[in-house]
Amino acid sequence: MGKIEWAMWANEQALAAGLILFTGGIVGVAGLFRGWQFAAYAVAAGLFVCLLEYPRSRRAKGTGVERKWQYGLTVCVKAFGPLTRNYYARAFLHAALCIPAGFILATVLGCVCLGIASLIYLSVSQILLQYFYILFSPCRKLVETVTRKRLFHY
Amino acid sequence: MVDSCCNLRGFKLRRCAFTLLLCTSTKLTPRLSMGNLAANEGLSVFVILVWLAINAFLFVHFYMAFLVDKWFYTRVLLGQALSWARAPAACLNFNCMLILLPVCRNLLSFMRGTIQFCSRTAARQLDRNITFHKLVAYMIAFHTAVHIVAHLFNFEYFMDAQLNRNSSLLPFILSEIGNGDNASFLNPIRSNETNPTIVMFTTIAGVTGVVITLALILIITSSMEVIRRSYFEVFWYTHHLFVLFFIGLVFHGFGRIVRGQTSASLTTNDPRLCADRFEEWGRNDSDCAVPVFAGNPPMTWKWIVGPMILYVCERLVRIYRSHQKVVITKVVMHPSKTLELQMKRKGFHMEVGQYVFIQCPSVSRLEWHPFTLTSAPEEDYFSAHIRIVGDWTQALYEACGGDKTEPQEAWKLPKIAIDGPFGTASEDVFRYQVVVLVGAGIGVTPFASILKSVWYKRIQNKDVFTKKIYFYWLCPETQAFEWFADLLQSLESQMAAKSVTDFLSYNIYLTRWKEQEAAHFWVHHEEENDPITGLKQKTLYGKPNWDSEFTGIASEHPGTKVGVFLCGPPQLGKSLEKQCLTHSEADVKFIFNKENF
Repeated sequence: MGKIEWAMWANEQALAAGLILFTGGIVGVAGLFRGWQFAAYAVAAGLFVCLLEYPRSRRAKGTGVERKWQYGLTVCVKAFGPLTRNYYARAFLHAALCIPAGFILATVLGCVCLGIASLIYLSVSQILLQYFYILFSPCRKLVETVTRKRLFHY
Repeated sequence: MVDSCCNLRGFKLRRCAFTLLLCTSTKLTPRLSMGNLAANEGLSVFVILVWLAINAFLFVHFYMAFLVDKWFYTRVLLGQALSWARAPAACLNFNCMLILLPVCRNLLSFMRGTIQFCSRTAARQLDRNITFHKLVAYMIAFHTAVHIVAHLFNFEYFMDAQLNRNSSLLPFILSEIGNGDNASFLNPIRSNETNPTIVMFTTIAGVTGVVITLALILIITSSMEVIRRSYFEVFWYTHHLFVLFFIGLVFHGFGRIVRGQTSASLTTNDPRLCADRFEEWGRNDSDCAVPVFAGNPPMTWKWIVGPMILYVCERLVRIYRSHQKVVITKVVMHPSKTLELQMKRKGFHMEVGQYVFIQCPSVSRLEWHPFTLTSAPEEDYFSAHIRIVGDWTQALYEACGGDKTEPQEAWKLPKIAIDGPFGTASEDVFRYQVVVLVGAGIGVTPFASILKSVWYKRIQNKDVFTKKIYFYWLCPETQAFEWFADLLQSLESQMAAKSVTDFLSYNIYLTRWKEQEAAHFWVHHEEENDPITGLKQKTLYGKPNWDSEFTGIASEHPGTKVGVFLCGPPQLGKSLEKQCLTHSEADVKFIFNKENF
């Protein structure tokens, strides 16, 4: 399984964890549970993780598949440079984010899921892979159309 | 028939980066997607509606079932959250029962064989088993979410009842019940010196709940299309967490944490009368005794034990099949990393358009991968064309001696196990006088089997019903052409030898190309044989103009029924269906077969 890019799965897991964290936080805040402040934190943390993990990375080998509408977020995430590009950084970021969510029941599931994602990222970072940004190139389509028109008259 | 590497004349193919579209090997389970499902009216929609109706019925029924008097005091503590937790639990029982059934492919094969005699439409529904499996999985995820949210509220309310230690509050009085014998209690949280998280990890229901939810989340994230298509092993091995899931599910209700008033207690304490007089409970002058509570016996195992047994049988059948002797009679290395395995197994009988699962124990004991069969039933062997795209296919390639230059000895070839064949046969192709076959990219694989079979039928039996085949192959890359082009070349020469030149008319469309390649095509456009395929029929560029194609076919064959078969993306299916409808006039009818593949 050496060639498998575990980072792809870590990305899916982190995105799911972000959603679960967010949902758990909403429930905690809406029900005004004890410790709802942790739930409020989880709403913010969950949203942040979702936005961070939504842009899907280009694969080291082969081409990747973008998620819908990810271009804008890719630009934002890319602006943070090595902080978001490096998998070590992501692993520690997720580990740090998930800890406060472990204090109340509503968000503990999100905490564990994010922790798992962090572990997968940590195992990937051993290989020192980097996050490659998929950025759609508007020039590419133009060249293709021009070539087609020039050569084949339609 | 296809037994030599095809060396495309004069044109060195550049190895382009591997696109995700073609990066699956020919592991084609029949093309299933949500779009296809929506397009197929009739039986599929009916099945889905019945399933949704049962879900809705169970939800409402069990919601109402917890609004009776037995649960009155429980509802004092929990409110409506009790029903909101129990209703999805019932739906979860139902869906977890269903989810194992569509993946028992040998059982389905057996059922298909029986049903096929009555109705081919019904048999074809069984091809949609994986779609149904996914739908049920989504429903399980949804109900799990509702169940968990409801229980979050339940835990919070239980905790509240323990924390508000005021004897004038009914919830507190109810929570105090059972402190003596620890059996007749209502509130599973027995003290106020705890918190919901600790309670969750110290109850059977809580611990099993965490385990099965985590298993479910890991299964779902590793089943995403990107992961499944690119890293099959991650998907396959993580999916086996379902074993943990089902074990946890069986034990989830053993703690009997959801408690209602016993029927004996209901006679001595009628909630409707006694709820307001809770200060008097148990007193000598009162007609309200202290209520006694007990939990329901676990029910889930009754729902899922049947399918679990069926699934165990399914795995045993697969183990048995893996011990049946399969002999590789020939290995052919095609360009563009395609491996063709020709095999024989005693008693193997296939039909066109079916697929098999292949296992190679020397590569991996646990992995079975699906491949469409590319040989015709008339041949004495069966074959599959396998694209080398991942770890397993690469290891298989090396085990078959793909990386060696000299031919392999027969006894050095690896042992192979075959499960199948599966899939409804595409025999409908032979029922039409004129057939239009459209394959997009890798979707052309089942057509290899069909074309060969039709040709065999033609030369063996002059009275074959199919008189003319129009074959359209849409391909985004030149790379994928080789082995199929080889097949077409072979057919072309055989047809020329038998002077049957108007039987098969094929059109290959290159839908994407690189600029340097385009320049080459332009220069060699006038040569006799096509620069890409080497065939006499020239490759066309861009997408086909279906309107003119269909008009041409309609004018060539007035008064006939034309069957149109597609193996490709749903958008292409929609446009073909539209063309079929618009060109079906009084004398010629185009029938789009959207259920195949």
